[in-house]
Amino acid sequence: MPLEQKVKYESDCDKEFATWVTSQTGGENLRHCIQCGICSATCPLSLYMDYTPRRLINLAREGFKKEVLSSFTIWLCASCYACRSECPKEIKVTDIMYMLKRKAIEEGVFPRRFPIPVLAREFSRMIFMFGRINETLLVTDLFLRTNWFKFLTMTGLGFNLMRTGRLSLMPDSIKRRGELRKVLDAIDAEEKKEEVK
Amino acid sequence: MSDNKNKQADLPRVGFYICHCGSNIAGTIDVVEVSKYVSGLPGVAVSREYKYMCSDPGQEMIAQDIKDHKLERLVVAACSPNLHEETFRKAAAKGGLNPFFFQMVNIREHASWVHTDKGAATQKAMDLARAAVARVRHHQSLEKKRVPVDPNVLVVGGGIAGIHAALTLANAGKKVTLVEREATIGGHMALFDKTFPTLDCAACILTPKMSAVKSHPNIKLWTYSEVEKVEGYVGNYKVKVKRKPRYVNEDLCVGCMECIDACVFKEAKFPDKFNQGLGKRKPVYIDFPQATPKVVLLDPQTCIQLKTGKCKKSCAEVCDRKAFDFEQKEKFEEIQVGAIVLATGFKAYDAKRDHQYGYGRYPGVYTALEIERLVNASGPTSGEVVLRDGKKPKAVGIVHCVGSRDAKSNKWCSRVCCMYSLKLAHLIKEHSDAEVYNFYIDMRTPGKGYEEFYDKLLSEGVHFIRGRVSDVTDWAVTPEEEGRLVMRVEDTLAGFVRRIPVDMVVLSTGLEPQHDAQEVRRRFNIGCGSEGFFQERHPKLAPVNTFTDGIYIAGACQAPRDIPDTVAQAGAAAAEALALIDAGFVELEPNTSHVIEDECSGCKSCIPLCPYSAISFEENKKKAIINEVLCKGCGVCAAACPSGSIRQNLFEDDEIFSEIEGVLAK
Repeated sequence: MPLEQKVKYESDCDKEFATWVTSQTGGENLRHCIQCGICSATCPLSLYMDYTPRRLINLAREGFKKEVLSSFTIWLCASCYACRSECPKEIKVTDIMYMLKRKAIEEGVFPRRFPIPVLAREFSRMIFMFGRINETLLVTDLFLRTNWFKFLTMTGLGFNLMRTGRLSLMPDSIKRRGELRKVLDAIDAEEKKEEVK
Repeated sequence: MSDNKNKQADLPRVGFYICHCGSNIAGTIDVVEVSKYVSGLPGVAVSREYKYMCSDPGQEMIAQDIKDHKLERLVVAACSPNLHEETFRKAAAKGGLNPFFFQMVNIREHASWVHTDKGAATQKAMDLARAAVARVRHHQSLEKKRVPVDPNVLVVGGGIAGIHAALTLANAGKKVTLVEREATIGGHMALFDKTFPTLDCAACILTPKMSAVKSHPNIKLWTYSEVEKVEGYVGNYKVKVKRKPRYVNEDLCVGCMECIDACVFKEAKFPDKFNQGLGKRKPVYIDFPQATPKVVLLDPQTCIQLKTGKCKKSCAEVCDRKAFDFEQKEKFEEIQVGAIVLATGFKAYDAKRDHQYGYGRYPGVYTALEIERLVNASGPTSGEVVLRDGKKPKAVGIVHCVGSRDAKSNKWCSRVCCMYSLKLAHLIKEHSDAEVYNFYIDMRTPGKGYEEFYDKLLSEGVHFIRGRVSDVTDWAVTPEEEGRLVMRVEDTLAGFVRRIPVDMVVLSTGLEPQHDAQEVRRRFNIGCGSEGFFQERHPKLAPVNTFTDGIYIAGACQAPRDIPDTVAQAGAAAAEALALIDAGFVELEPNTSHVIEDECSGCKSCIPLCPYSAISFEENKKKAIINEVLCKGCGVCAAACPSGSIRQNLFEDDEIFSEIEGVLAK
């Protein structure tokens, strides 16, 4: 096994990263964290995480942007808000997770074949296109992009779901998709304006 | 048994009481069995057991029994006499019995708490009870002596603790002498820039109290002085004070400081002790603008006149009040006081001892006290946070727990470092806008407004890295580390080792006992804990008292503590001293020794043995004589006397021998 150097230099940090987080809606209280760890303890998914929520907050605060944005933690967050309600310093951990997810997608540093970011991206893409989700399409898309081999083992389940009417093969869409497009474009334009400010 | 009972007629009637102390005693010792056993002993008229003897009904029972059963002696088997001897003596007195016709048996600390074998513990309690019953027969009727208390007080140490204690006592109308070793009062607090957590300026809150001391009609302020010798006893101490020469007449100097300008040294060139060596001073100097008393002094190590006698003495020439006196010698003064408050403070840990942090080796490494001076507007840089080469630091690392929580130096937590490190982090950031890192092990902020202060610092963007810095090095491994100091630490919260380059390192040094704490404690005849801080009488219930009556301790000489706690403790020490003085007298235990004059051969062997200098020799009669007021009842003289002519009350031979016989009898 090759040995990997684990020491962190200050050049590994982005000193502005914490300031960026605190400047975003929901990230204001980041620096107040006292590292008590109740977020990690209460988190139903922390047992699968590479960095526990407590550690992720610390890394974000210390400017370890690369570690934070490429972590699995932010994608594993199921937004149950347990951490948010338990936090003694009222840090909006879930909001910070969302913020970091968006940033990770924006910078293209999320784990490529990890299903959750793919699901998030495909989900929103489908909404933008049809205004509605088609489960069959979404699931197929997700499996093909992440683990097509698993798709084969799931065919039995898929077939049963289809038989009971839980999965539809018919494409689904809202009426007046053009108007949805307009709404979404307007939001985009607003966000761009905010960023320029 | 019938024999014993017959004898009872001429033996004093003893009442025996055994306490359950809840389950503290009764849980291990069969108290009913002990009580039954003792009731059969010769001379025992009453033997009872009760749940809590020290309670009001318990005491009442004793007093009533003394009357009803005409008891002549009393034995109580319960806890340590340190706790309740006085209680039961009072109960005896209430029943009309001389309080010294009483003996206490400690069956809690000496039996039930230290044994697990119930049978053996019960047997031991019986043995001890039997011994006490045998001894108490021989007790004599004794009276406590009353001695008057001198209303004057000595306060040693002119830091915030001494200042506050002196002012409290003086405001209560007592005459106080405040003795301070340095040339000015103010102590460590005078060095600080701001105080946590409110960030009010230390000088602004301290200097009014300093001038109050100076101008108070009831306070005699002796700076540059040290206590040489303490004699006497509670209420009546005789203290010898050494007054070191300043070479300037304190009564004449008004602190105009023209002499400093006139000194033949045109430039200040000697390290300034007050500014931790960061600034320079002349041989004639004053520590800081608000020094109290505002009197200059000469440093005999650097003053040309004092060293060689060959100087123009331009300082003395310019002084129109003729205050200079190059011939001044140290002098000794004696004062008489009733109580003493010791407030001798602490010493900051010597950062050079932790060589891994490079203090004294790298110019960029500072102690926290140096930074206090550096951020202070009246400090050597007028409040600018700059390195020794004049450059502004871009990054500053503050290392907590230097000389604290370390088995290699000091094991204790110094209690104030977390808070002052936070304060310095705030001030450094405010003064220099540098990136500030705090390296801590645990963040300890217990106090009013302290946690809130920590939260404020968190929000200011100061870095908090949990981990003890292993070393500070100038060995760079990346280009950004070149020419800087690198701190190696495991960021235990992030989960990896980090190398952090900084320009300035601040070592948050812990608090230690003064270097001469051991000598001082011997001089005042008080105790020190294993770490060297002065020992309080009880950690919870007598925190400012010592084991020597009339001597009180306040502030960081007892343990590391911050300003609010120090002031509270100084007030408490002053109140204790007032309680002693205002009673007007003290009662002394009658357990003192006395010489049987006819039997004393005048060999003098007892005189050097007495630790309290209570024995003197009467030349006319050629006999030793014991001052009962000075005698503490240690018994050394009585044991040493070759002719057996020294006797000690409550420890007479027949009392001790019958106690031994009692404990050994089966």
